[in-house]
Amino acid sequence: MSTMTAKGQTIAEELKADPNRAACNFYALPIGKTPKDTPAPEGKKPFYINHYGCPGSYYRESSSLYEEPYAVFAKADSLGKLTKLGKEVKQRLDLLRHDAKGRTGEITSKGIQQSREMIRQLVQRFPDMFTPQGYFSGRSIVQNNCLQSVEEAMVQLSSMIQPCNSNLTSSHRHNRFMDPQDQTLESQRWDSLTLARYNRFLALNSGHARLMESLFTDQNFLITHFDPEVLSRQLYVLAGSIQHTDLAGHVTLFDLFTPAEILSHWKKLNAKYYITNGACTLNGGTQPFIQRATLRNMIHMGDSVQKRTSPIMHLRYTNENVIMALACLMELDSCGLQTDNLDCLGDMGWASHRIAPLGGSIMMIHYRSEVGDPDVLVKVLLNGQEAHLPIESDCAPYYHWDDVKRYYLRKLYRYENKRLNNIGENINDN
Amino acid sequence: MTIKGMNRYPIYISVKVLAIGVSLFCLLSPSHAQTVRDLIIQNPTYASCNYDVYPDSVPNNLTPSPKGKKPFYISHYGRHGSRYISSRSGYDIPFRMIAHADSVNELTPTGERVHEEMKVIMADTETRWGELTNYGKEQHRQIAKRMVERFPEVFSGDARVKCISTTVPRCMLSMGVAMMQMKQMNPKLRITMEASQRYQWYMNHQDNKLRRNYMTPEAKKAYDAYTSSRLGNSRLMELIFKNPDIVKEIVNEEQFNYYLIKMGLFQQNTQLRQNTFLQDLFETDELYQMWQIDNAFWYIQHGACKLNGGKQPTSQRYLLRQIIADADSCLRLDKPGAQLRFGHETVLLPLVCLMGINGYDLATDNLDELEEKGWWCSSVFPMGANLQFIFYRSSPRDQDVLVKVLLNEKEATLPIATDCAPYYHWADVRSYCLGKLE
Repeated sequence: MSTMTAKGQTIAEELKADPNRAACNFYALPIGKTPKDTPAPEGKKPFYINHYGCPGSYYRESSSLYEEPYAVFAKADSLGKLTKLGKEVKQRLDLLRHDAKGRTGEITSKGIQQSREMIRQLVQRFPDMFTPQGYFSGRSIVQNNCLQSVEEAMVQLSSMIQPCNSNLTSSHRHNRFMDPQDQTLESQRWDSLTLARYNRFLALNSGHARLMESLFTDQNFLITHFDPEVLSRQLYVLAGSIQHTDLAGHVTLFDLFTPAEILSHWKKLNAKYYITNGACTLNGGTQPFIQRATLRNMIHMGDSVQKRTSPIMHLRYTNENVIMALACLMELDSCGLQTDNLDCLGDMGWASHRIAPLGGSIMMIHYRSEVGDPDVLVKVLLNGQEAHLPIESDCAPYYHWDDVKRYYLRKLYRYENKRLNNIGENINDN
Repeated sequence: MTIKGMNRYPIYISVKVLAIGVSLFCLLSPSHAQTVRDLIIQNPTYASCNYDVYPDSVPNNLTPSPKGKKPFYISHYGRHGSRYISSRSGYDIPFRMIAHADSVNELTPTGERVHEEMKVIMADTETRWGELTNYGKEQHRQIAKRMVERFPEVFSGDARVKCISTTVPRCMLSMGVAMMQMKQMNPKLRITMEASQRYQWYMNHQDNKLRRNYMTPEAKKAYDAYTSSRLGNSRLMELIFKNPDIVKEIVNEEQFNYYLIKMGLFQQNTQLRQNTFLQDLFETDELYQMWQIDNAFWYIQHGACKLNGGKQPTSQRYLLRQIIADADSCLRLDKPGAQLRFGHETVLLPLVCLMGINGYDLATDNLDELEEKGWWCSSVFPMGANLQFIFYRSSPRDQDVLVKVLLNEKEATLPIATDCAPYYHWADVRSYCLGKLE
């Protein structure tokens, strides 16, 4: 299990190098150079790309996130309770809220670039896939930032292949596998034990006194009128949101925090995502199974396209929690981690910003030598990088499709059987 | 949009005042060679007004460019393409009635078939309410394709195409497929697509004050008088129910007739279009009467109807001002490209009325006049409807910019003088529009 990035950085070093990572899954996947691919085994060519992606960078959905902290600073300022830094921060918050006004939840120009660049890199990496003979389907859940992401991707693709045999859809009809719900698992997510452990973890990692003293001259006023813990969290979330907008590089809020504080905030948010989407043993380790319909669909699609003679790609944009839980279910790299130790997630390699950042994706790419090749290989890209699967292979990062299928189907059957046999449990097979 | 359409109906059918004869042989305005009835015979969905389907092809008979001038800028507002019905209630109302009648064994064999067909439609629409259909996408591909083919000068090289959609997914998808089509034709186009709440104030402005007050007591009186003779369908009741008199307790004849026609015609927008069983239940005159009812309604809601003060079209004052402002700024550019806007029929219809395109600024208090004077809403806003302003000049220094208006890709008129119809001097159009906004 890898505990560090490819560059050998610890989480603290990663956050120091780019504090934007502290936004966890609200980190913007950088638009970098096209990754290098391990050459495919002799004679094998890609013929199917099965993609599940997060929307590109977008404004936060809640306008109160932008308005509430500003209101606190405005009130404090009107009473002369702000420090010099506090007054400066008030101005920055004003810029942020104006920038987000009328755009909450909407894709940003960076999000558009991510979508276009992903397609450009795919065409560059897998030229055999992108021919006029291929079929390219773009789908999104009915959520505007996902729809905008898939549209940009498909328009980019249309500019790179002529003629481009394609379709673009956004429908609630596909929610069954693109955004599955499972009331049983969701009800188990925050059971009392998990909640108690998480709250204790929060308490151990909280500390906002230094920050508040740097911003407000009168702590009594602050504590009387507002909740410093909430304000601290809001400032931290806003700090991580700026990277998506055109204000990135011009305005920051991370300078308000010390590296240790940033790490604490990251730990708390990362733990929350782990409990929500990861195989956290506190709540039974089964949360990733919410995405079982998605994984099953991936497997069915992999089988059903085998007889096609021409390349095919399915682009599917859904929300980032789906991608995160799917990566955990598939146990990509260190995503399958099972533990109850919230404090060491980073050390054990479970870092949400590496799993499902905005603009991120999981792609399963299928290879064969010819139609009817009995030994189809697959490779999985997590955020564009070749990922490790929990399956033995003599040609990693390529895996034999039959092995992949067997492993995942068994995993799904085991879970489903257990659930069916669990008398007294409220079965809800959504 | 869901605002109008089926839901409103029950409110206005209650008062029957007097019967007004159906004017089958209406007078024709010079601009219409055919009667509405003719159009419905050729294309029954014409009767469904805003559910009408955009034509598969449009005549290729545009007037050549004015001498020495070329198209250089297009400004556009288009409705999303064919969609599924927006709200469940439009289908639920007749479905519940027929299901109830079925439960008491009151359906004839035809009635049973109707019930089955309705179940198929309900299942097809489930989880897709309001979503763009594949036909809707194809309409936008074709409209985009024709736009590029007809005005290649605007879309040459690395021309800019700036698109704005309302935040409604079917409009965003319409924009997406249109742009995919354009990129296929010219990969170098510099396309931007936006769908932001920031533009809703003019892209999808619903004037609450106007909307609340369109059905004045006077308008309601006239509407009820106009529609009373056109509601109901005893023939249909005989066809579907064993004992029409008995089922009256559970089936409201007027509502059932109205919603079933709509449900049948609506399917032309979906993958069920090959199956015209429901549509074929109705005779031309029944469809025609429903068109009259709806046309009058749309006129009162969005036309310059004197019964409510004639101000309804001004709901689109912000959009018109924005179109002028965008043109003002684009005319200064060497190569402005195109500005495409994707929205709704409840915006497009009042905009057309506000600008007086093709005589749709008709102001009257007599609903019987609408038909003879050519105020036919179905010709304005079928699914995929669009308004295109094509700007012409000889060079960026040319001070006499001309503009041509296309309504649903056909050359249209404005109520202002010109020496070069269908082209108009932009300076005249601009001052005319600004005058309208004062």
